[in-house]
Amino acid sequence: MSRYIATRAIRGANALVGEAEVMLKQALDEHGADTPVSFPNTAYFLPVIFGMTGREIENLGELPEVLDHARSLLHPTPSAKHWTPYLGETLDSGMATLLAAETIEAIRYIYGLQPELLPGFELAGGTSFTSPDMNGGADGSSNGHLNGAIDDIQLRSWGIQLVDGRMPGFAAIVGCAKSNAAAVQIVRELQRRNILTFLSGNVNGRSIIHQLLEEGVELGYDTYTVPFGTDTISAIYALGFATRSALTFGGMKGGQAKEILHYNKDRVFAFVLALGEVDDLKYAAAAGAINFGFPVIADTVIPQILPTGVTTYEHVVSLPWHEIDGGDDLEKAERLVQKCIEVRGVKVQVADVPVPVPYGSAFEGEVVRKADMRVEFGGKNSRCFEYLRMGKLDEVVDGKIEVVGPDFSAVDPQGSMDMGIVVEVAGRQMEQDFEPVLERQIHYFVNGASGIQHIGQRDITWIRVSEKAAEVGFDLESFGKILHARLHSDFGAIVDKVAITIYTDPEQVDQRLDEARAAYDFRNKRLEDLTDTAVDVFYSCTLCQSFAPNAPNHVCIVSPERLGLCGAYNWLDCKASFNINPTGPNQPIKLGRVSDLETGYWEGTNDYAKVGSHGVVEEVAMYSIMENPMTACGCFECIVMLIPEANGVMVVSREDTSMTPAGMTFSTLAGIAGGGIQTPGVMGVGKYYLASPKFISADGGFKRIVWMSSVLKDTMSEEFKIVAEREGDLELIDRIADERSVSSVDELLAWMEAHEHPALTMDAIF
Amino acid sequence: MPIEIPVDKWPGTVNTVTLGATAADGGTRSKVVTIGGERSLPFMHFENETPHPPVIALEMTAARPGDWSQVLLDAWGDVVDDPARWAGACEEAGADLILLMFGLNDADGNPVTPDFAVGTVKAVLQATGLPLVVLGPGQAEVDNEILVPVADATKGERLVLGLCEDANYRTIVASAMANGHLVLGRTPMDVNLAKQLNILMTDMGLPLDRIVMDPTTGALGYGIEYGYSVMERLRLAALQGDAMTQLPMLVNPGYEAWRTKESKVGEGVPDTWGDWAARGTHWETLTAVSLIEAGADVVVLRHPDSVTRVREAIDELMTLETA
Repeated sequence: MSRYIATRAIRGANALVGEAEVMLKQALDEHGADTPVSFPNTAYFLPVIFGMTGREIENLGELPEVLDHARSLLHPTPSAKHWTPYLGETLDSGMATLLAAETIEAIRYIYGLQPELLPGFELAGGTSFTSPDMNGGADGSSNGHLNGAIDDIQLRSWGIQLVDGRMPGFAAIVGCAKSNAAAVQIVRELQRRNILTFLSGNVNGRSIIHQLLEEGVELGYDTYTVPFGTDTISAIYALGFATRSALTFGGMKGGQAKEILHYNKDRVFAFVLALGEVDDLKYAAAAGAINFGFPVIADTVIPQILPTGVTTYEHVVSLPWHEIDGGDDLEKAERLVQKCIEVRGVKVQVADVPVPVPYGSAFEGEVVRKADMRVEFGGKNSRCFEYLRMGKLDEVVDGKIEVVGPDFSAVDPQGSMDMGIVVEVAGRQMEQDFEPVLERQIHYFVNGASGIQHIGQRDITWIRVSEKAAEVGFDLESFGKILHARLHSDFGAIVDKVAITIYTDPEQVDQRLDEARAAYDFRNKRLEDLTDTAVDVFYSCTLCQSFAPNAPNHVCIVSPERLGLCGAYNWLDCKASFNINPTGPNQPIKLGRVSDLETGYWEGTNDYAKVGSHGVVEEVAMYSIMENPMTACGCFECIVMLIPEANGVMVVSREDTSMTPAGMTFSTLAGIAGGGIQTPGVMGVGKYYLASPKFISADGGFKRIVWMSSVLKDTMSEEFKIVAEREGDLELIDRIADERSVSSVDELLAWMEAHEHPALTMDAIF
Repeated sequence: MPIEIPVDKWPGTVNTVTLGATAADGGTRSKVVTIGGERSLPFMHFENETPHPPVIALEMTAARPGDWSQVLLDAWGDVVDDPARWAGACEEAGADLILLMFGLNDADGNPVTPDFAVGTVKAVLQATGLPLVVLGPGQAEVDNEILVPVADATKGERLVLGLCEDANYRTIVASAMANGHLVLGRTPMDVNLAKQLNILMTDMGLPLDRIVMDPTTGALGYGIEYGYSVMERLRLAALQGDAMTQLPMLVNPGYEAWRTKESKVGEGVPDTWGDWAARGTHWETLTAVSLIEAGADVVVLRHPDSVTRVREAIDELMTLETA
């Protein structure tokens, strides 16, 4: 906490409480204690006072005790000489400011000074007043004054949108922008993002409300831009709105201050944007807003409070207008609003994929034949790659799509050209580990466009654009638009900003391809280093319980060295999935104390096994098929099964329909391996687990495999080569029998003798 | 030889949920319905008593239903053109509560409007004193457009609003929270999806005693085993103490049974199938009773005769000799 801010906020609070006391005394003298006080059309009394203190203020005579309470929250300004903690004091002062401000506005309503009069002003929809005086007098219209407090009807309408996410949040703008043009651009940027905007305050008498009016911007409920008043005190209506949101939609009651403040911090994505010079009162009001978890962003130089605590991220951020990187007011406004969104953690929805062709998952399987093709990238005749990397939050410009090099209009029909797609994403929750998880999605995202075919990944990407798609205007930029929209909509939980650069200039493609390949290598290395002992959480996966209702008690435990048995989810996928969907099918399992690293027992995994299997399974061994093996649903890629006579195991692929040495085919075996029950000696696994150093390592590892479906040998030959090296026997794979030569135990034993299979000389498997 | 029946001791209890509110509680209902509270599998009276027997809802539509079996239309007669009278007829037929279903169109075939929805709900509330479940057509935009004003206009009635689904629950939950209503969450026959939706809805701050879940089911001969199994597993998890599965269950055997060929088609079917109307109600009754045994707290029916028959079955199950 900055002492400067604390000093000024506390000073501002002291002054305002004093001012309120004077006003209240005068009002009591002139009008009497019985005079009713209220804001128009609300069932929540004076909402901030009601929410924070539980007091149901209905007349002037009840207000002195509110101010007494406010005064009790005041503190002396921090000593310049001695360091004392002052965060608590500052927050208290902020709260005192809010109570005083609401008291002042309530009194002003009695005097007809609220809503603030502004001759000639026409409100584009606003709070209606039962008193005809307030409806603009003679013609009964809502003209001639600003809006003042928001009524309950509008609160419900907007509140629902804030709660269900249609409206990402609200901005309380206080002060006056650098120029009229800047004021307009800032408000337009907020409107464009569906963010509700409340206006109040001034700098030397000039308010953003004046600026917008001069530029002909319509203000009122209808434009989601509500002018509260031209002084700072009127900003209290924003917090009254926030308090009532919690009371209405959070089911809270007056006086539950802590719950109401938490509700706002966690669910109401609001922030304060202070434009122009920040005076004592503004600091005091800002301290009030921080109580609600609403951060303050200023466009002038003020001390910052960057550590998180009361707010989700930074408390006070300064982004001086003249330092904002941007060519004109429009760009500066965009960056400023973007910064506000970042600081508050507002999630912006991107509804549609703005491309000229139909878009949806129904088009994913489409094939573009050579004859129908306009252009292709990758394949035999050109190079194509895609690379997604994490950038810095303040460097990535969301929505920026750049094409470096010529578009494909210059290419002959059915021709080809080089292309590199480089995606930069940034987000508070983004981690470098998620790069490959997101990058793999490019395949599905691009394929969703009708008339576009996407195959492969990384530097073996191959994309075709059909003649039809090109005719209706699909171009290189369209790729960027697809990726921007889909990354936001599907991965909004971890991605806040997405920028895309498409390279077609051959020299640039060369250069970027080198960068991408370095990154691919780095990731491969990272995967190798990602071992079970290098992490402290595994993930559960109950995804398949949806498809395998007859295995209600099965749960996968996914570790870095043992992917899900369906082959679809590895540890990184689970981690990303949990970040994206914290209530979803992948939950972290804290490992806790190791019970037996050899067989693979941790406290955490065993505890989870009990809960996840609803008590059916007591313990699960991560690395053994013989002792408490992991259960399976039915969607395993392979079945591993003990062949007792051979002192080893066989591995049957689900693509293999032939007879196995066990005397059963895959489909018969599946009945034994599935169902969520532990059967020692039988286990369903994902095929990449076979190549893991932790593959049944407690039972002897890969060398135990005596028979394996040939399809696995073929498709996994690269991986198995590495395994053979690791096991120190380059002939290892050739020593393993398959269905082409062996289909009974007798044949298997003969084969093993003939090929000197290592299992023959290993310890007894049980 | 004396036989000792094993008694299960379950740590968990199904939530008790009250539908509808009387004038004393801020509504206008003449009676309320309380469901849930089970501490054992259905009708295991020797373990624990069943605090609230399963209840029967009758389904009616806001506009004359276009796709209902002729058997049903014959049974109800011309009240199907008048929601208020239909609601009265449902009450007379012995329903414990009423489920009012909106389609995409109003009675004149125009798209439903908030005014039409509010008007219809108010008419039904006036015509009957029973608690009410109000469901939109199941299209997010339309649901939200009509359910929000309905929720506002009936504040305090403790209606059950739906459908809350994975893709669209926030708006309905928010308006229920703001107006003291309940919600119905539906997930497609899956324990984990049901649980997840319950987590999401309670995450928004809606208390668990204001949520009823519909785990979806199938009709007899059309996947009832699947639905039964999911309900049974949800209930087992609830009794084992998993708070996010401890919600009372509402299922709609009426909808499921009356869309089977056996119930819907009267001509061109084998004579051995017997009388069409009898067959339809048999189908509905058997589906409903099976689901009650799986743990349903509310069954939604369509035929008035089925109400009587399912009621008999419930009464019998509730008075079973305890060992």
